[in-house]
Amino acid sequence: MTRSMLENATANETPPPTPDQQVTGHRRRTTRIGWVFSSPALVIVALVTIFPIAFSVVLSLANVTVTGNGFQLAGFTFSNYSEIFHASVWRYALVFTVFYTVVTVAVEVILGTLIGLVLERLTKGRGLMMALLLVPWSMITVISAELWQYIFDGTYGVMQAIFSAIGLGQPQFLGTPTSAIISMMVADIWKTTPFVAIIVVAGLVMLPQEVFEAAAVDGAGSWTTFWRVTLPLLRPTIALAILFRILQAFGIFDLPFVLTGGGPGTATTSLAVLSYRTMFQNLNYGAGNAIAVSASVLVLIGCLLFLKVFRAQVSDA
Amino acid sequence: MEPKKRVRTSNRVRLLAVVVASSSIVLAACGSSSTAKSSSTSPSGSATSGTITWWASPIAQVGIRQTLINAFEKAYPKIHVNLVSAPTNTGTNRSQVVAQISGGSTTPDVFMGDVIWPAQFGAHGLAVPLSNYLPSSYWAKFAPGLVAGAEYKGKVYGSPLFEDQGFLYYRKDLLAKAHLPVPKTWEQLKQESLTLVHDHLVKYGFVWQGNSYEGLTCDFMEYLTSAGGKVTNAAYTKAYLDSPQAIQAVSFMRSLITSGASPAAVTTMEEPQAMATFDAGDAAFLRNWDYAWANSQTPSDSKVVGKVGVAPLPTFSGHSYPGYSTIGGWNLYINPHSKHIATDLTFIKWMSSVQAQTILGKKYSEIPTVESVRKAIAAQASAPPPEKVAAVTRLIARPAGTPNYPALSTAIYTNINAALNGSTSVKSALASAESQANTALSGGL
Repeated sequence: MTRSMLENATANETPPPTPDQQVTGHRRRTTRIGWVFSSPALVIVALVTIFPIAFSVVLSLANVTVTGNGFQLAGFTFSNYSEIFHASVWRYALVFTVFYTVVTVAVEVILGTLIGLVLERLTKGRGLMMALLLVPWSMITVISAELWQYIFDGTYGVMQAIFSAIGLGQPQFLGTPTSAIISMMVADIWKTTPFVAIIVVAGLVMLPQEVFEAAAVDGAGSWTTFWRVTLPLLRPTIALAILFRILQAFGIFDLPFVLTGGGPGTATTSLAVLSYRTMFQNLNYGAGNAIAVSASVLVLIGCLLFLKVFRAQVSDA
Repeated sequence: MEPKKRVRTSNRVRLLAVVVASSSIVLAACGSSSTAKSSSTSPSGSATSGTITWWASPIAQVGIRQTLINAFEKAYPKIHVNLVSAPTNTGTNRSQVVAQISGGSTTPDVFMGDVIWPAQFGAHGLAVPLSNYLPSSYWAKFAPGLVAGAEYKGKVYGSPLFEDQGFLYYRKDLLAKAHLPVPKTWEQLKQESLTLVHDHLVKYGFVWQGNSYEGLTCDFMEYLTSAGGKVTNAAYTKAYLDSPQAIQAVSFMRSLITSGASPAAVTTMEEPQAMATFDAGDAAFLRNWDYAWANSQTPSDSKVVGKVGVAPLPTFSGHSYPGYSTIGGWNLYINPHSKHIATDLTFIKWMSSVQAQTILGKKYSEIPTVESVRKAIAAQASAPPPEKVAAVTRLIARPAGTPNYPALSTAIYTNINAALNGSTSVKSALASAESQANTALSGGL
């Protein structure tokens, strides 16, 4: 504050500033006003995001018991972390979550890019197709998960009827670990591929047309154009889509919670489901928060690594 | 150049102003939530006025709660009860109640909670020890075992509202057609299921709850107990899931599926799916709770109206009949922050009165928790079949006397579900169930 007052004072004493100085001073003042005016909003952001995160970290590092009068914290400890690292359920949930993230994001990005390319070429009905594509994406996951549960039902499910009709037996889609994991991935891919496709379409529309004309003049075929021109130009967009998807997929909760309940056995128990179960069923808030923090740290590291590799591309976007 | 810049700046200022205005509205909204202190009344349990909030999930039929409230308000015209509808899923219900109470909320005053909650809620101070206020004469009227199930460390936390238990529902018409008796042993049930399926009299034999969730723990308890096994020792310090009895129980459950007596889909079935299969006429036998009777006799929901019989659950051959039924049902608890404990107690006492229990038992065919009402209803010729059968069954409580019961149950149902769907052997599933259960009992993950 004092410093800014000093700056103001000097600004007042100096003779008429050059246009250049005027601009800088003006910008500085605007920035200050900006901070002043946005601080209430920033305080709220801090309250609703930073505080819960910090509280979660504190709980994960304490001997915590939930009581009728809120949380009681007794001393600093790493025992919550050592407890989860030694638990086979946590290790399984971690492996499952990473595997699930890698597979669904990869499939969604490839499919989404292909759909995006097709959409961009559509001369008629692109708006309609975009609107249709948005239907799965806009559906609340809890509802789409219920729908998929009906589809995959082991007695009256339509998917089983189809398999049975074409002579593939009566598979229990949600009844065995492998098929339940695949079923859950299908439900996720159905829902989030449109998200990637729409980001890709947006990226394609923004591409400079001259480059394609130049490629055509140079005699590049459509295949060469795609690999040498479209895809490299699209990389920042795709990188952004991947980043969003990793963040969402790694924290997956609603889909397994509704579709499989984390089962069969613990086959589809993601880190988020495990954390929920530990905190809200077992009332073990220390370990539950340790799971939540571990998941956040891991996905943060994953995203930072990804950004390091794709930094240039993302900042271009 | 200059005017343009000014325009841009003023736009920015305006935008900031909007942000500030909207954020201060949010701030004001946040600040308006009141922080009430918990009261320290010493209730006599005879308050006759006031307003209380009752948190309860729908009891089988949605109208039951309001019917009870109306009758209560008629008896106590100066007390008003606000009903808050709670989630039907017991786990979701619990997490919402815990969030409210541990956050210091003074409402709900009274909450309807699962029979498996007392130890956890008692240990964490999330419910009022009702035995501090209600004399032993109050507790003496309930059917045996119910009050013991609501106890933790010598104090009773829940007042039993209605009871539930496992029943065997069977198709009278199919058994008559095939000249088969009502099964008294699990082996007989399996054999009859196979016969009915092989003779193409029905699509599936026996449907039950095999999904990876609390309901599987309930079903497993029935097989385990009739095989003579136990989940833990009396002190809840050691689990016995890798025992010969548990192996017998789970091997039999798995054999129901491998033999074809139960459909493979049973490993994903919860109560609604099993009940729907039975009510569609696609299964000969169903293990379910009390409410399955009313559903099976509702023409809009069921194709088997008038064709259903109810019996106690079977036992393993060589053990005495009937087998064991897992205890379910719901209790009434009081929020420790409630400002109206005296009124809460009036409400709870009325809910265990003959009038309320008769409404539950007679009008809605729930099993009353008060022994005298239960007997009176069962003695009537018009009593719903499950209530008559309930008078002769043997009950087994889930091992919920430990605050770590949810983790213990998870160790049971996740591993048994894995054995049922064949992704692991019975032996290794139970070995891992036992080790996870021991971790759970010591408060671990």
